[in-house]
Amino acid sequence: MKRLPFLVFLLAFLAVGCAHRSSAVSPLPPLVKVDSHSEEIPLKSPEVSVTSGNESADRKENPGNGEKGEEAEIATIPDPLESFNRAMFGFNDKLYFWVLKPVAQGYKKVVPEAPRVGVKNFFSNLKFPIRFLSCLLQADLSGAATEFGRFAVNTIWGVGGLMDPASSKQLNIPKNEADLGQTLGVYGLGQGFYIVLPVLGPYSARDSIGIAGDYFLYPVSYITPWYDWLAVRAYEEVNDTSLRIGDYEFIKEAAIDPYVALRDAYSQYRQKKVEEGRGKPATPKPGGVR
Amino acid sequence: MKRYFMGLGILMFLLSTLPVYAGAPLDTVQANVNKVLDVLRDPNLKSESAKGTKKEKLEAIYEQMFDGVELSMRTMGANWNKLNPAQQKEFVQLYRQILEKAYIDKILSYTNEKIVFPKESMLSNSQAEVQTKVITSSKEIPIFYRVILKNGTWKVYDVVIENVSLVQNYRSQFNSILAKNTPDQLLETLRKKVKGQ
Repeated sequence: MKRLPFLVFLLAFLAVGCAHRSSAVSPLPPLVKVDSHSEEIPLKSPEVSVTSGNESADRKENPGNGEKGEEAEIATIPDPLESFNRAMFGFNDKLYFWVLKPVAQGYKKVVPEAPRVGVKNFFSNLKFPIRFLSCLLQADLSGAATEFGRFAVNTIWGVGGLMDPASSKQLNIPKNEADLGQTLGVYGLGQGFYIVLPVLGPYSARDSIGIAGDYFLYPVSYITPWYDWLAVRAYEEVNDTSLRIGDYEFIKEAAIDPYVALRDAYSQYRQKKVEEGRGKPATPKPGGVR
Repeated sequence: MKRYFMGLGILMFLLSTLPVYAGAPLDTVQANVNKVLDVLRDPNLKSESAKGTKKEKLEAIYEQMFDGVELSMRTMGANWNKLNPAQQKEFVQLYRQILEKAYIDKILSYTNEKIVFPKESMLSNSQAEVQTKVITSSKEIPIFYRVILKNGTWKVYDVVIENVSLVQNYRSQFNSILAKNTPDQLLETLRKKVKGQ
C-alpha cells in the first residue's frame, strides 16, 4: 500500500508531461533570436575585447542591405586561444582516426546495433540527474517532470534503462536534453571563449564549467577505483562512437576549414539550446535515440 | 445593414490575419523535395551506372530550388563586396560545387526515410522558414529551409540542419580565411577543394 502514493505521484507527473506536450506551438519568431542576441551582447563584450585580431566576433551581422539585417544572427564565439585550440583540435583528430574510430569499428563489427543502442540508452538513462536538476534550475518544471517520468518508465519497464519504452509511440514522453552549461546560459552567462579540450573535445568556457558540474551529477563518476571509472567511460565513448561513425568525417569533408566549421557548429548548437531553454518552446523534442 | 457590415468587417479582419502566402513557401519546398525523392526512388536509376544521370537531375532541381547568388551573398556577408564581379561569379559556381560534393553522397544514400513537413513560419513579408524532419530508424533530423520570395518564386537561401545554419557555418570559415588571405587566394582554395576531394 505504500506504493500507491508513489504511483499516483508518478501518474500525476506523466499527466503533466502529456498536457505540456499538447499545448499550442508558437511560431518561430525572429524576435526571440533578437532578444537573446541583445541579451548576450552586454555579457559577452568583456570577452570580445580580449579576442585575437583576426576573430570576427566583434563583427555583428553586417548586411549589404536592410533585408539581411532581419536575420538576427548570433555573433561568432570569441577564440583568443586559437593556436592552442587548433593544436588540441589536431590532437583530437588524430586520436579519433588512430584510436577511437578503429576500436569503434572493430566493436561495431562484433556487436550488432540493437545491444549497442541498448548500452547507449543505459548510459543516457543514468544521466537523468543532470537533466532533471538542470530542468529544475531552469524553472522548467514540466521538463523536470517529463524527465522524471522517462527515468521511471525506462528504469522499471526498460530493464534498468537498456530499453527506451518512454520513447515508444504509445508513450512518447519527450526528452529534454538539459545540462548545466545550458542552465548557466539560460541564467544569462555568455558562452565565453572557445576552448578545445584534449580528448573531451570542443567546449565554451561556460560549458566547461557545465561539464565539471555534470561530472558530479553523473553516477558513473563515482565508480572506484579510478581505472575502473576510466574503463567504463572509455567504453561508453567507444559505444557512442560506434553509432556515429561518419558524422565527424562528414563535417571535415564538407568544410573548407574544419576547425572553424566545428567551432561554429558547436557555438550555434549551444546557442540554440540556451534559446530553447529560455523560450521554452511548447514543442518538446520528440523521443528517440539521439 | 449594420450587422451585415459588422459581420463583413469581422470576416475581413479574420482573413487579414492569415499569412499572405498561405502555404506557398511550404508547398514550394515540399514540391522540390518530392522531385528529389522521385529521382532517388526511380527504379530505372537504381544501378551504379545511372549515378551520373541521377546527379545531373539532382543538379537541375538544385538550380530551381536554391538561389545560388542569394546563398553566396549571405554566406560572404560583408566580404561579398571585396570580390569583383568576375570573382563573385566564380564564387557562386565554386560554392555550389562544394555543397554538391559534400552533400551528394548523403542524399544518394537515401533509403526510404520518411520526410515530414510539420511547419512553416513567415520571417518577414518575403522570407519564410519551412521546417522538415527526416525520420530515420534511429533518430529524427530536423532540417529547416529558409526561403526568400524573388520574382514570384520561393527559393532557398539557407538550410538549418539540427539547429546549425549552413550559411553561418560557411560564413565563419570564409571570414576566418579572408582575414588572412586575399579573395583570389580564397578562390584558389575553393578550386583546389572542388578538384582535390
